[in-house]
Amino acid sequence: MSIGLALAVAGAAIAVFGGGSGSAMGVGIAGQAAAGVVAEDPNKFGKVLILQLLPGTQGIYGLIVAFLVLSNIGILGGSADVNMSIAKGALYLAACLPIGVAGWTSGKAQGEASAASIGLVAQRPDMSGKALIFPAMVETYALLSLLISLLAVFGVNSLAI
Amino acid sequence: MARLQMQKIGICALKKDRQALIEELQRKGAVQLVDQEPPEEGAFGKTNTMEQRSGYERTIQACKQALEVLDKYAPVKESPLAALEGRRMLSPEEWKKRTREREELEGVARQINALAKQAAENHTQAGRLQAQVQGLEPWMGLDLPLDFKGTKKTAAFIGVFAGERDEGALKEALAQSAPELEALDLWIISRTKEQTCVFVLCLKKDAQKAEDALRANGFSLPGLPGDKVPAQEKEELLEKIRQCQEKAGQNEEELRQLGSRREDLMLLMDDSALRAEQQKATDLTMASRHVFWLSGYLPAKRAKEIQSLLEQKYGAVVQFEEPAPQENVPVAVENGPFAAPVEGVLNSFSLPGKGEIDPTFMMSLFYYFFFGMMLSDAGYGLVMVLACGFCLVKYKNMEPSWKKTLKMFLYSGISAAFWGAMYGSWFGDAPKVIASTFFGSDFAIRPLWMDPLAEPMTLLMICMLFGIIHLFAGLGCKVYQSLRQKDYLSVVSDALVWYLLVGGLILFGLSSQTFVDMLQLDFLLPAAVGAVGKWMAILGALGVVICGGLGYKNPLLRLVNGLYALYGSTSWLGDILSYSRLLGLGLATGVIAQVVNMMGSMMGGGVLGAIVFILVFLLGHTMNIAINLLGAYVHTNRLEYVEFFGKFFEGGGEPFVPLDVHTKYYKISEVK
Repeated sequence: MSIGLALAVAGAAIAVFGGGSGSAMGVGIAGQAAAGVVAEDPNKFGKVLILQLLPGTQGIYGLIVAFLVLSNIGILGGSADVNMSIAKGALYLAACLPIGVAGWTSGKAQGEASAASIGLVAQRPDMSGKALIFPAMVETYALLSLLISLLAVFGVNSLAI
Repeated sequence: MARLQMQKIGICALKKDRQALIEELQRKGAVQLVDQEPPEEGAFGKTNTMEQRSGYERTIQACKQALEVLDKYAPVKESPLAALEGRRMLSPEEWKKRTREREELEGVARQINALAKQAAENHTQAGRLQAQVQGLEPWMGLDLPLDFKGTKKTAAFIGVFAGERDEGALKEALAQSAPELEALDLWIISRTKEQTCVFVLCLKKDAQKAEDALRANGFSLPGLPGDKVPAQEKEELLEKIRQCQEKAGQNEEELRQLGSRREDLMLLMDDSALRAEQQKATDLTMASRHVFWLSGYLPAKRAKEIQSLLEQKYGAVVQFEEPAPQENVPVAVENGPFAAPVEGVLNSFSLPGKGEIDPTFMMSLFYYFFFGMMLSDAGYGLVMVLACGFCLVKYKNMEPSWKKTLKMFLYSGISAAFWGAMYGSWFGDAPKVIASTFFGSDFAIRPLWMDPLAEPMTLLMICMLFGIIHLFAGLGCKVYQSLRQKDYLSVVSDALVWYLLVGGLILFGLSSQTFVDMLQLDFLLPAAVGAVGKWMAILGALGVVICGGLGYKNPLLRLVNGLYALYGSTSWLGDILSYSRLLGLGLATGVIAQVVNMMGSMMGGGVLGAIVFILVFLLGHTMNIAINLLGAYVHTNRLEYVEFFGKFFEGGGEPFVPLDVHTKYYKISEVK
């Protein structure tokens, strides 16, 4: 088994780990706020649930990148490229870093914004449309890092090294 | 694409017709009454109906509470789609007939609330008694009352020691505390980890000494009432508990029977809401002894209808005037069947403010388009179309706001199906996976246009192109809006210079080899176009600097502020890059769908494989639809609110809320 392949799998792991941890923290933070609001007014369940789910996307983005890496290097599908060069493996690892790192931090930050928005909906239910936008602002940076990770993974895949 | 033209209406009529006239206006739902200051002199004054109104509010609360009680004790099975059924229709006559006995209905509501309270009290009482029974449990071995103090010659002490103590040790401890005691006997009645219950007997003359010795060793009285033998006491308590429970059961049975009055309560609640709103309207009128007048806003297109109705039926004097320019006129928008569904999205942002246009139509064009691009799966789109279509066909009586929302998702679903077909995504790569796993063929549905996973860079460029079109459309709205306001300077300073600058830079960039190579584009604009672009950009930049400095006298301040405005052009870069989410979310849907299909096909072909595949397919794709619907909805809203509205729209209009039938369960049909 080559070190290159190990590096690539480590990259996939970082993507899932970082994105998943960020989302877990974010959804957790927002969930606490949501539970508090629902305790006061059970009718707001639907509105605050949507807000709680918003920081959940980073985990999914991490999953997407990891899935693409694993299927590109053949770990999924059972035709793993055991002779992968160290350089290529390291490139895959680097490609996973944006979503792995920004997914983590933005997930947590988005969770905090979601919690604040949940507070907003608790006091002003008519603001639920606008309340969605504040967490969505944070999401932008997770999306940008997803995009760069994806483009980088596609690019590395087509390299002949 | 229109704001409703509003007019001011003034109505003057006889006071005896006031109630009927207000009811009539309420059923028409066309006029929003406004508050007014009474003239300082003259016979006109304000009416105050606070008292009646709070009576109705109390009834509403009582009904609400009673309905909650009935939901608990006499629940009605509701389908999860019950919210779509809409309010039931009653004719005005039927409404009147069924609410004639308001007092009887209010009595029902009160009775229900009282019964619920009684039932709760009985349950609490039973719980309290149960606790007493439990306290008695350790004393069941005692056949004397707990307050037994002894006989003629003896003194008795009944009580507890904390902790588990045994007889010998206790006796020894007592003997040590009071060695002079002649005779003292001690029986242990029960023993647990927490306490030891004892019966102590001694001679009457030693009572004080014995008590001191006991206290010194941690003896305490049982703290239970007890003029009866514990076993008998327990029997009596159990009997009381049974009675309480029986009473609670009776209360609940009565509540179950009252469940049949649910609809009456709903109607009473609606009727009270109706009347409370009428009272509120009455408060806004000015009245003398025989005459009253009121003023308000109404949509101009309904003016004729309301005027002739009031004149003919009540002999009222109705006058109209155009609102003054500085007035804060309430806002309502009206759109055609294509754009109206996204009005809800506009409402959650804000209604157009003073002088602003209604952006709904332009917004709707991009809304469906972007929503589809982000969801981007033909299968998911069709599921949305079928689900929304089914609800729209099945529930004809749906409330308008629901209808709009479902239509919005229906149209977005059509767009998603379109984009899915363009990208070749039908539940991800399900056709290919099914064909290869179960039928061993290499069948696959080819994308009509491109596979995003194969050419992400190209698609990214296209997304940004769509973004530029969206942003430029926003600027276009700004131009239109400023022209309507005759603010020609704003046409130049807020729109034209930016068109020149951004458009020029794009043309210039596309004619430069390095830039085109970086973006991996396969075309290059001729140098001449590039030169035109360059000069457009320079002109635009100059314009931005000049316009940004307007309003400052000091030339240095002018320059600084102008340059600062030019610095604002960096936000355009962010705005355009923001549209990369069209690609990001589109890829997310496709890749997760592929993951689902791959997991489903892991068991291979055959019957077992097919069962696993179907289960994973249903579960996985349901989850993926849910997550991506949320994502597409939120991010389409964001693109509209932040990028598009940012170019021209601020909002802040007060919504038009006419005197109307604002009820929860029933509505009144039109009188023909």
